[in-house]
Amino acid sequence: MVIISHLNRKLWRDLRRMKGQVIAVALVMACGLAMMIMARSLIYSLDSTRREYYEANRFGELFAHLKRAPNSIAERITEIPGVAAVQSGISVQVTLDVPTLDEPASGNARSLPDFEPPQLNRLFLRSGRWLTPGSRREVLVGEAFATANQLKPGDTIAMLLNGRRQELRIAGIVLSPEFIFESRPGAALPDNRTYGVFWMPYKELASAFDLDGAFNYLSLTLAPDGSPRPVIAELDRLLTPYGGRGAYSREDHPSHIRVSDEIRVLTTVSIGFPLIFLSVAAFMTNAVLSRLLALQREQIAVLKAFGFTNQQIVFHYLKFAFVMVAGGTALGGVGGIFLGHKLVIMYHRFFRFPELVFRLDYNALMLALAVSVAAALAGVFSAVRRASRLPPAEAMRPEPPANYRPALIERTGIAHLFSHSFRIAIRNLERKPMQAFFTVAGLAMATGILIVPSGFRDSVAQIMDYQWDTMQRQDLSIGLVEPANPSVVNNFRQLPGVITVEPFRAAAVRLSFGHRRRQVGLQGLPNNGHHTRIVDASSHEIVIPQHGLVVSSKLAEVLGAKIGDELIVEALEGKRSIGTVPLIGLSADFAGVTAYMSMASLNRFLDEGDRVSGATFNVDEAHRSQFLRALKDTPRVSWVAIKNSLRENFRQTTAASIGLIQSIYMAFAIVVAFGVVYNNARISLAERARELATLRVIGFSRREVGAVLITELVILALIAVPIGLLMGTGFATAIFQAVNTETVRLPLVLTSGNYALAVLVVGIASVLSTLVVLRNLNHLDLVGALKAPE
Amino acid sequence: MDRKPVFRAKGLTKVYGAGTAEVRALAGVDLELFDGELVVLLGQSGSGKTTLLNNLGGLDKPTSGELWYRDLDLTAANEDQLTQFRRERVGFIFQFYNLIPSLTARENVGLITEIARDPMPPETALELVNLGNRFDHFPAQLSGGEQQRVAIARAIAKRPEVLLCDEPTGALDVRTGIVVLEAIERVNRELGTLTVIITHNAIMADMADRVIFFMDGHVHHIRENAVRAPVSGLKW
Repeated sequence: MVIISHLNRKLWRDLRRMKGQVIAVALVMACGLAMMIMARSLIYSLDSTRREYYEANRFGELFAHLKRAPNSIAERITEIPGVAAVQSGISVQVTLDVPTLDEPASGNARSLPDFEPPQLNRLFLRSGRWLTPGSRREVLVGEAFATANQLKPGDTIAMLLNGRRQELRIAGIVLSPEFIFESRPGAALPDNRTYGVFWMPYKELASAFDLDGAFNYLSLTLAPDGSPRPVIAELDRLLTPYGGRGAYSREDHPSHIRVSDEIRVLTTVSIGFPLIFLSVAAFMTNAVLSRLLALQREQIAVLKAFGFTNQQIVFHYLKFAFVMVAGGTALGGVGGIFLGHKLVIMYHRFFRFPELVFRLDYNALMLALAVSVAAALAGVFSAVRRASRLPPAEAMRPEPPANYRPALIERTGIAHLFSHSFRIAIRNLERKPMQAFFTVAGLAMATGILIVPSGFRDSVAQIMDYQWDTMQRQDLSIGLVEPANPSVVNNFRQLPGVITVEPFRAAAVRLSFGHRRRQVGLQGLPNNGHHTRIVDASSHEIVIPQHGLVVSSKLAEVLGAKIGDELIVEALEGKRSIGTVPLIGLSADFAGVTAYMSMASLNRFLDEGDRVSGATFNVDEAHRSQFLRALKDTPRVSWVAIKNSLRENFRQTTAASIGLIQSIYMAFAIVVAFGVVYNNARISLAERARELATLRVIGFSRREVGAVLITELVILALIAVPIGLLMGTGFATAIFQAVNTETVRLPLVLTSGNYALAVLVVGIASVLSTLVVLRNLNHLDLVGALKAPE
Repeated sequence: MDRKPVFRAKGLTKVYGAGTAEVRALAGVDLELFDGELVVLLGQSGSGKTTLLNNLGGLDKPTSGELWYRDLDLTAANEDQLTQFRRERVGFIFQFYNLIPSLTARENVGLITEIARDPMPPETALELVNLGNRFDHFPAQLSGGEQQRVAIARAIAKRPEVLLCDEPTGALDVRTGIVVLEAIERVNRELGTLTVIITHNAIMADMADRVIFFMDGHVHHIRENAVRAPVSGLKW
């Protein structure tokens, strides 16, 4: 038999009586916890999956590209102190002809040792089989490209290997720890349809690219006591004579950076949002309990008079709070796990792991419990302490009428303008400033958190609809296999459907400022060009002068450089020029990091004469596929980037996932807004039941009595909403700053529509809560009001 | 005497709960109340007198029987009609005053005069209960007796046709209680308002025109006083 003490029975009944408020608090808490558990678990899933993948498949720790070095150099690298294992091989750019694509595709072909598995960066076979040792015309294809083009083992693709067309048979579909994120180097955004990664036998690639007995790519792992810096220095020293482009660590590895960026975003989410939500929940718990205790003043006195100890009473009311915590945690846990499962699927669009499943971070669950208990404790503590201090005799007497005085605003001499219900409302607010403060704070937060999700939506819309077309006026861009004579532009102009064409020059460079450095693509843009436009943070076009460099403002931030600083530019190809260039502008681009110069000055800097690396086009829509097919037959074209397909890809991946997260936050923010407003209205009703019932008895209609409550709520809302909009602007600024990475940056866009929506939601929440309260007014115990105060 | 009653109850019952938990608070009340009289409703706790008062004041509806306020059938009136009835006809005085703590004495009265059809100025009502010097005090600044007199002023300011008082001195000491009863008696005398006072204190019976003895949910007997005793002479 279960024995429920009478005190627990009272607890149970109090809970049932206040179920609306209890549920509201638990829901708000659950929102914060769900977000925290979801984000922490996703971090854990991504981080641990990546770590295990790296370990199992022996992902390298340092990487280097070079022009060509004999294999004996790789042997010497093995002997560098601190190096554990070395894997050398070939990495070359290839052009592809995919039957289902109008445009040419491009890719990165990597070598695999002919007769043994590689030491490092081992592949994971998703389907099909490994390459047959000693075979020819076989290829392994990276999963992202294979999926985007619906390629299966057994299919054939045509690849241009050093200008020679080869039909290759797909042996298997694979994953590589080096390409968790598959994207063309230097491309700001991925397009898996037109760019892929391929693995072929060393021998076949070496003979096609004249690299027999040599390598042009290397990766290595460090011994447990090895430190990356001296090894990088030694590698650079050894490889520079062989056209080394500078070794780098995982921190600069493009695929690694993308996953790390995502983890960084999640970290912000897992701290920022729950903090806000749980603060609101703590406020609400405090409000509910302190007001409950005020209403139960006599009951507490009776309990004490009958010999219940302070501890027992404190414990009793703490249990009340813990029911809300338990409810919130359970709901938050379930919600977090559910959302985590949903969101982890989203990552499959971006990241290629052998298996990425949702892993619950139990620490986060414990943390969530601790955080919400702490929030509840903070909410309960002061209220409960006040109650337990109450001497029984005092509490037994009905509370004397509270002390009031004319409100400040009445003392200004305009008192005669106010109705009685307005006076009741403002005097109440002024007499209980802390409660008014809590309500205003809660309402303001509810308003504020509504700003952030809409900010995300508006930001994505700004990118998709405005920024994209402002910055790129061309329809598509192409890159050449090798820099070519500018006369090639004339040939391009002859292609079908071309309206305008502009050349560009591009080179892989390393930018350094102080001790910080980054490898980026440096773009040389033509003078008086109309296609690629660089704009600054205030959407003004930056005209590139003859001398000087413009970089993505994120890149400047990473380098710690500001306008006017001299950056060191090292070309990683050709004659490997080196020089200093002043930073003259910051570009407000939204994806990837890039640097820009004028084409003439880039060519001067590279010292290889007048060259172009590619061109941008505007093409007549009617001749578009003709144009693309013509490109396929132009052997010098290495890659094609079509603006609208990149945009579509962005819409389906990044924008879709931001949209998903945005709608989750929006739903949560709405729950909080309703919770806060409803809770406040209910508490006001409970506190004032006697007063309001009296008004009803002496002849006030329901509407008139409701007006008293509503006046108070409206005054509070009028104070809270502007503060909330300001807070929301602050939240959005902070969160946008934190989630902006080198991968994608969202511009902070705060529209009047966004603010209006926040006000509208809080307004609707207020109206609905008021309706609920007015409905409760009907049940107001009129007869009870005539009796002694409870 | 051929007067039309203000209130007329016939076979009035009020049952709370059902089955074994059933409580018959009113078990067939027959009663008539007339203009201008001061009636004391005397009975022990639980005799049903408060239930009767609540029914008369339109706060509660009887389970069966007839209850008329002049031509208004209180048993058939809807919520809005009852609100209207209370607003225009009835003045309530409660044991625990039930003032709005955030309003001053004058404002507590003014609250009602704002919505009444033909009220007296709040100041006049307060002067009638001898609170002419307490207009701008808040309830917390007034003694219990003063608070109850503000409540009386609030009840009479709209010139109600009936004044219903539920243990108006229940929370007060003797001396203060007498001051409050004097105020009620004066209102009844000067304004001619039908006044019903509920009490379990038999001493107060002497101040009434009629004393209705209530027991077990019905009228046990009614006593008519030939002369109303002056309130100042009541002793308990």
